[in-house]
Amino acid sequence: MANMKEIHSRMKSIKDIMKITNAMYLISSSKLKKARKSLLATEPYFDKLQETINDILLVAPHMHQIYFERREELEKADRKRGYLVITADKGLCGAYNHNVIKLAEEEMAKGDNNFLFVVGQVGRQYFMRKNVVIDVEFLYTAQNPTMYRAGEMTDIILEMFEKRELDDVYVIYNEMVSPLKAETQIKKLLPLERKKFERRAAGIPHAAFYPSAAQVMDNLVPNYVRGLIYGVLIEAFSSEQNARMTAMETATSSAKDMLRELDLLYNRARQAAITQEITEIASGAKCAQKS
Amino acid sequence: MATTFYLEIIASDRPFFKGDCEMLSFPGLDGEFGILPNHEAMVTCLKAGELRFKVDGEWRYAAVSDGFVNVRPEATVLLADTVELPEEIDIKRAEAEKLRAEEKLRQKQSIKEYYQTQAELNRAMNRLKVTSKYR
Repeated sequence: MANMKEIHSRMKSIKDIMKITNAMYLISSSKLKKARKSLLATEPYFDKLQETINDILLVAPHMHQIYFERREELEKADRKRGYLVITADKGLCGAYNHNVIKLAEEEMAKGDNNFLFVVGQVGRQYFMRKNVVIDVEFLYTAQNPTMYRAGEMTDIILEMFEKRELDDVYVIYNEMVSPLKAETQIKKLLPLERKKFERRAAGIPHAAFYPSAAQVMDNLVPNYVRGLIYGVLIEAFSSEQNARMTAMETATSSAKDMLRELDLLYNRARQAAITQEITEIASGAKCAQKS
Repeated sequence: MATTFYLEIIASDRPFFKGDCEMLSFPGLDGEFGILPNHEAMVTCLKAGELRFKVDGEWRYAAVSDGFVNVRPEATVLLADTVELPEEIDIKRAEAEKLRAEEKLRQKQSIKEYYQTQAELNRAMNRLKVTSKYR
């Protein structure tokens, strides 16, 4: 009998959890719909932005501009690397956070002077526990990205780069390649690289920069970085919702599988208990008849 | 001589325009810029203001904010944070934004905040200008 009770309470707890996973599935699928819409709207901009900046870097003349500073005089070990790591605000989304954190840690193993800007609570908590140097005041949520938030992040990062507190800046995030596949990406934000050799190989002349190359770059680079961060945030957000939706779907279906199995066990235990009871009664009756 | 050139206008939240255009005029860093077909390769920046482009002999207008323009022989690409048609602009909202920015400017602020508010005010005033002109 105790077995039956145990199975019953186990089934109840699975049912309760299933209610939660199912609700989360519904929530994330509706959030995904919204995120997908903004991703679809922003993707042309994001792609064109990268294409155009590549194009511009191809035709840019030589100039002394801070965002092009490669600081080659620094030893490799002395370089201060900044990483903008984009995680989710919550867990329960499969390997989403784990993948980003893993790649970030692999990258961080390359040098000692690492500085992290973490978006999202999960990554923040993780790196704080690990005692990694992170920007404590870089408090931005991963949810519903806006251009304004991307602009603030850009200001912080560019300022640190200008002050030489950072020498290389990367961004690490999950990209949704297809609804079934997410890929962890790393992109270099700064410094920009002028494609001198490729330009010469292609035989393209320099383009005119108006009013001046330096002035254009002063305006263009913050704009580009902001656009890129915005695009990355949007991409990551919809990837997060997608990951959560898939994870919750799997959780719900595996809960259903478990319930089916437990149901069988429960019925079997019930049957056994009934059979036992009948046998007991029957043998008891037999005994009573004999005497 | 070609009389049109291929133009792409892309805002951060949607592709705005794609197609052949006869003339493009946009607010540059130090004044209005006009682009005609066969323009030399050029890269320049865009600030908040009024955008005009001529398609099939007809002028079209829009309000833009910060961005940049890449003029190449094969295509001209204009990338901006926002591009809005005059009829899409919410006048009430733009007015409220203008008031809020003006109010903020009167407060004590850090340099960074000051620049941000100024940019906000600029955008709001530009929206109002474009709507009052073309609606």
